Amino acid sequence: MTPQMTADTGMAALKVLVVDDNAAMRGIVRAVLSAFGCVQIKEAADAKSALTTLTEDSIDVLIVDWKMKPVDGLALVKRLRDPDKSPNPYLPIIMLSAYSEAAKVRLARDAGVTEFLVKPFNAGALYARLTSIVNRPRPYVRTKEFFGPDRRRLDATHEGPERREEAPID
Amino acid sequence: MAPKEKPIEIINPPNMLKVKVGGKLPPADPSAIHRAETALNNLKTEFADWLGEEVVKLEHYMAEVRSSGLVGETGEMLFTTAHDLRGLGATYEFPLITRIAGSLSKLIENAEKRAEVPMSLVEAHVGAIRAAINQNIRTEDDPIGKQLAEELETRVIALVGEAE
Repeated sequence: MTPQMTADTGMAALKVLVVDDNAAMRGIVRAVLSAFGCVQIKEAADAKSALTTLTEDSIDVLIVDWKMKPVDGLALVKRLRDPDKSPNPYLPIIMLSAYSEAAKVRLARDAGVTEFLVKPFNAGALYARLTSIVNRPRPYVRTKEFFGPDRRRLDATHEGPERREEAPID
Repeated sequence: MAPKEKPIEIINPPNMLKVKVGGKLPPADPSAIHRAETALNNLKTEFADWLGEEVVKLEHYMAEVRSSGLVGETGEMLFTTAHDLRGLGATYEFPLITRIAGSLSKLIENAEKRAEVPMSLVEAHVGAIRAAINQNIRTEDDPIGKQLAEELETRVIALVGEAE
């Protein structure tokens, strides 16, 4: 990356971990993040390495592929949203996947992803996901069956009253 | 008596990222997008090689599947490679390959489907992807490429149905 390809933006402060078993895709995501001004970009080729990095380092945003071996991205997200096992259950997670079917997006949302981005992706879409995470973070929801970002922002049709009680962070 | 457990808790963690980046990020930053597009342009010289490697991998697993069948690990690897191509094709300036690889991914997505589908249709997808590269057919603006993709998709939908 040449100096003129980067910029001094707020994104320089963000530490981003990119997890994808395809090295070329990791390189493409890194190139785009660098152009946004990110300078603290880490990579992992599988879920196990990602967990190690997440445990040892204070990552701000995770960008993760779904289809990986031996542990897929969805299982990694579930693990990270388990408050008993996760190094950071509130970690913002962008799932970057070639899956585009609505059922798959619902599965990812139900596992606890913050944002979903379909491959092939464009730079504008990734920028929008990052700004959304920083500027308009979702509240988190804890029920018996689920812990993760509020899934209702995806459901723009919800017009009913707020029936849920607010609780402070632990 | 223990306090009644709340069925749903809404938690608003402090927005430390906003503090970290020094306030809100600009919701749109055309110069950042332009820099990113330039960065991707600079990678273009690599795209043909990277795409070629993925297609060689696809053909390798196709060859294995021909002898061992679609059931089992080789079928799974063929799907994984097709799925990767679905995600990479358009980035590598071959949207038609994203489309055909997407159709192949739908056809062989799971073990149940792989147990049922005709090998000839799987082969037709792999052959079409190779033909797209060899003949430099990148988009569906090419009438033959479009017709081929539509024909493959129609046959896949007839077999496995529309995606949910």
